Amino acid sequence: MLRATFKGMASRKARLVLTSLAVVLGTMFVAAAMILTATMEKSVTGVIADAFTGVDAVVTSAEDPAAAQGNTPAATLIPAAVLDTVRGVDGVEAADGDVSGQVNAIGDDGKLVGAFAPTIGFNWNDQSTGYNEIREGRGPEAENEVIVSGQFVTDSGLGLGDTVTAYSYSADRADYEIVGVFGLGGDRDSLAGETQMGFTTTEAQRLLTEGENAYMTIYVEGDDVSTDAIADAVGADYRVQTGDEASEEAAEGFAVVADVMGYIFLGFGLVAVFVSVFLIINTFTIIVAQRQRELALLRAIGAARGQVVASVLAEAAVIGVLASILGLGLGVLLGWGLASLVSSTAMGGLPVQLQVPATALWALAVGIGVTVLSALVPAVKASGVPPVAAMREAVNPPKPLRGITIAGATVTAVGAVLVALGLTDNLGGLGLTGFLAGVGIAFVGITLLTPILSKPLVGLLGAVMSWSFSGRLGKLNAGRNPRRTAITASALMIAVALVTGIATLVSSFKATTEELTDQNLNSDLIVMGQQGANIPTFAPETLAEIKALPDVAAVGDLYGEFFGAEVDGRPTALFASEDLPTSLDIYSGTVAEGSVADLPDDGLVVNESAAADRDLALGDTVPVTFADGETAELRIAAILDDSLLTDGWWVAPAQIEHFTVPKPMQAYIQVADGADVGAVEDQVDDILADEPEVSVANNADFVDQQTSQLDTLLASVQVLLALAIIIAIIGVVNTLVLSVLERTRELGLLRAIGMTRGQARRMITVESVIICLFGAVLGIAVGIGLGWTVQQALEEEGLTSFALPWGLIVGYLVAAVAVGLLAAIAPAARAAKLNVLNAIAYE
Amino acid sequence: MPLATPPAPHLTRTRAAVTATGLWRAYGSGEAQVVALRDVSVEFASGAFTAIMGPSGSGKSTLMHCLAGLDTTDRGTVNIGDATITGLGDKALTRLRRDKIGFIFQQFNLLPTLTAEENIQLPASIAGAKADPEWLRRVIDTLDLRDRLTHKPTELSGGQQQRVACARALATRPEVVFADEPTGNLDTRSSGEVLRFLRKSVDDFGQTIVMVTHDPSAAAYADRVVFLADGQIVHDLREPTADTVIDTMRGFENRVPLAGEAR
Repeated sequence: MLRATFKGMASRKARLVLTSLAVVLGTMFVAAAMILTATMEKSVTGVIADAFTGVDAVVTSAEDPAAAQGNTPAATLIPAAVLDTVRGVDGVEAADGDVSGQVNAIGDDGKLVGAFAPTIGFNWNDQSTGYNEIREGRGPEAENEVIVSGQFVTDSGLGLGDTVTAYSYSADRADYEIVGVFGLGGDRDSLAGETQMGFTTTEAQRLLTEGENAYMTIYVEGDDVSTDAIADAVGADYRVQTGDEASEEAAEGFAVVADVMGYIFLGFGLVAVFVSVFLIINTFTIIVAQRQRELALLRAIGAARGQVVASVLAEAAVIGVLASILGLGLGVLLGWGLASLVSSTAMGGLPVQLQVPATALWALAVGIGVTVLSALVPAVKASGVPPVAAMREAVNPPKPLRGITIAGATVTAVGAVLVALGLTDNLGGLGLTGFLAGVGIAFVGITLLTPILSKPLVGLLGAVMSWSFSGRLGKLNAGRNPRRTAITASALMIAVALVTGIATLVSSFKATTEELTDQNLNSDLIVMGQQGANIPTFAPETLAEIKALPDVAAVGDLYGEFFGAEVDGRPTALFASEDLPTSLDIYSGTVAEGSVADLPDDGLVVNESAAADRDLALGDTVPVTFADGETAELRIAAILDDSLLTDGWWVAPAQIEHFTVPKPMQAYIQVADGADVGAVEDQVDDILADEPEVSVANNADFVDQQTSQLDTLLASVQVLLALAIIIAIIGVVNTLVLSVLERTRELGLLRAIGMTRGQARRMITVESVIICLFGAVLGIAVGIGLGWTVQQALEEEGLTSFALPWGLIVGYLVAAVAVGLLAAIAPAARAAKLNVLNAIAYE
Repeated sequence: MPLATPPAPHLTRTRAAVTATGLWRAYGSGEAQVVALRDVSVEFASGAFTAIMGPSGSGKSTLMHCLAGLDTTDRGTVNIGDATITGLGDKALTRLRRDKIGFIFQQFNLLPTLTAEENIQLPASIAGAKADPEWLRRVIDTLDLRDRLTHKPTELSGGQQQRVACARALATRPEVVFADEPTGNLDTRSSGEVLRFLRKSVDDFGQTIVMVTHDPSAAAYADRVVFLADGQIVHDLREPTADTVIDTMRGFENRVPLAGEAR
């Protein structure tokens, strides 16, 4: 029995190879995801461990590091006295205090160095040369000297001997001479793309601890040092870890990047696996249909039903095992390649240490399991072939679609309910899981519904193609086996639905942003910076200069405090404006109760729903703690109508001095009627020449800036489509080759009575294009539905507009046609080359 | 116009619709070579109904395929009407089959996706044309297919399907219709219907028909029976009846006892 199976497989090589390819792709991506994650983790851990070489103990503040978010490390500082205490502990051979934090350095181009990964400033001390290597020059010896990392040189365009200007949130600008350049262990420019500046300890403290003689971390060396002894000496305010513990903790932070990448690839892999399921089901259904007489013969001569099932499953198992092993192998290569790519682009040339974790074997299990389980349905169907079928001509009458349609509708409904529950947060903490599971289930359901949809849709799409007779025949052929057409189109449907869904959300977000800018923002120019780790700000004097420009009608300004402030004991973001009435006017904010004019120093302004949330009414007083520790009882002077741009807590200009960064973040400029916006933009640009963190943009540029990241996201999602397209092509080729095989005699007849080769090719091509278009149209419809559902759910969160990504939709349709043409090449050639005589004589 | 002058084909051999001269056709090579046709020369008169008979492996199907431009010849020439088809490329042959030849096969004559009428129109549709409606009406009426036109092949009986195939073969008024065992899959009654129609199309429409068959009673409908054995024409019988065909076959088997030896 098994021998018959394997002999049969040998004669169906091409189809099996194609099917295997789908399994290979799925397994490959799943394995690559696992390997990428493990490899990056291992590599990062290795590097960090290197950096901690020789460090035997680490002392940090016991305060939750989360409290040190933003710019204020005050709570987590270690006074210099503690360092002295540590140095006195038995077994401590050396101990040094480390000061490090974010500094802003102005590069060659007048803008900040290292826009995405900020510049890290630290104190260059004896320990610094343990891991870092000086490439040129020397360490800083005077307060106006600095040593910079290799990455800093690359990013800033500055080098040894140049002067660089730097400042921090608390320290004003100062000029430094670059006296040295250093590389990190392993001769690398950076750990993860960051730029670094090493100052003297005193200068680092001026920049980062507001001049306090204190440190963030104490690194201790000493082979016999005991962490307990240090802990006893420094007291409960400080946390003492061994070097290894600290190293592990530090590595965890870095590994997050790799984890995110890993999840993305895992997602791609799972989608590929999901799509492969349909392909495998289809292939085995086809194989079983072809072997119907053979199976019937086997049954007639005494094979049990179980043996027939086993014979089909054995074939699936062989494919599953071979393809999964190949996929795992390729996955290792892909994972290694991706890890190298991530290391060289995002991690400053981190040396990659390939790791194949035990979890990668899951990919193997997934590949084999999916193949065998997908083949189960066709296998059981195969066992149902009656022995008498061997004796008569194989006739496969179209099966009624009622059962599958009812099942499809039910499953789709279950999926839709889960999606709805997930989006409305009715599943407790499982919202996202519920939503994703719902989407998956809905896809299965819709796939079951596709056969019934294929009749009208294929007819409609085909009508467009029916201008030639061979096109008409192609259309008829596409509609011949709704189940097969549907399942073939499903692979494309799922991929297109996913990208269309995401594209719809992105275009809706863009439309919302545009609407906000156009309708709610009454300004012509916007001054703001790109959001980095630090909030970009500019000098308050700049505001006055802009206001003084002759063609400027009004300027709205915005100060913000995002960390460290509390309202009524709860961490709360605070805003302020030098001229709140004008600003509200520009942001389309309206006052519901009270007045914002002449806001008293203890005045507080808040929007309706935020006030209601805390049971506050006009005239109530609330205790507010500022980031600098100042406390005040503020009185609610006005309540604003809810409005996206002005929601939040506004304090009086007098309180700005208590903000972590008492500088404006954004300014919105109203240009006088009739004045040239471009000219004013140039003038503002001149004023901002000395402001490295911000720049001026008109409204259209602003919208582009806000949405450019989304475009990047969308582009990476299209990669998913490309992957699914490969699988879809395989599926379509598979189906077409089968169609050509099954209709050999028909093709022979057509050729005999005068159909040319070109016409035969066209007939197959039209069938192919129709199948692909069907998948794409369905996918676009489902994707729009998905996008709309999510948009509706997010409407209250501010996603108020729904917009369709028309350009992309047209693009997907064009892509579907291209896929159809591509997939048809081989089967059409096969149909055209058909030997007429053999075809008519075909058994 | 053939309708206006119903000819008496077996008497007036005006001209040949199909001519084969010195046809050779072999398959395979070396030891395994099988010679299917050995120097076959034969003419099929226009407006005549000719049957080709012979035992399995006698080369009768090969002869028909070569005559119809479905198979190539090793040596010799085939003419359809005035045109020499030997040596033509696939494109020209395809067009020739489409315009000049009608086919009726033993089975799988119809496309299951098309209705009976669409199947009848098939050769014209492939050519991007429409068959002459008046002519089509006559053929359809003669075959009694009027109320079956909208049916799909699966909704027709075997005999009805074969009648649709006949209508399709005649729809473009081809130079010659080749029928390959057209009644091989039919019961006696349906066979009779199909054969009577073929006879009628020769008598009434002046159609030329070449039919391969192994059934003596089917051959009896023809004007002439050409017997093939071992790749050669061994007998030419005019005005056959079922009995004379059977007698001929019997006698022919007795005379050539080594007919199968060449294989």
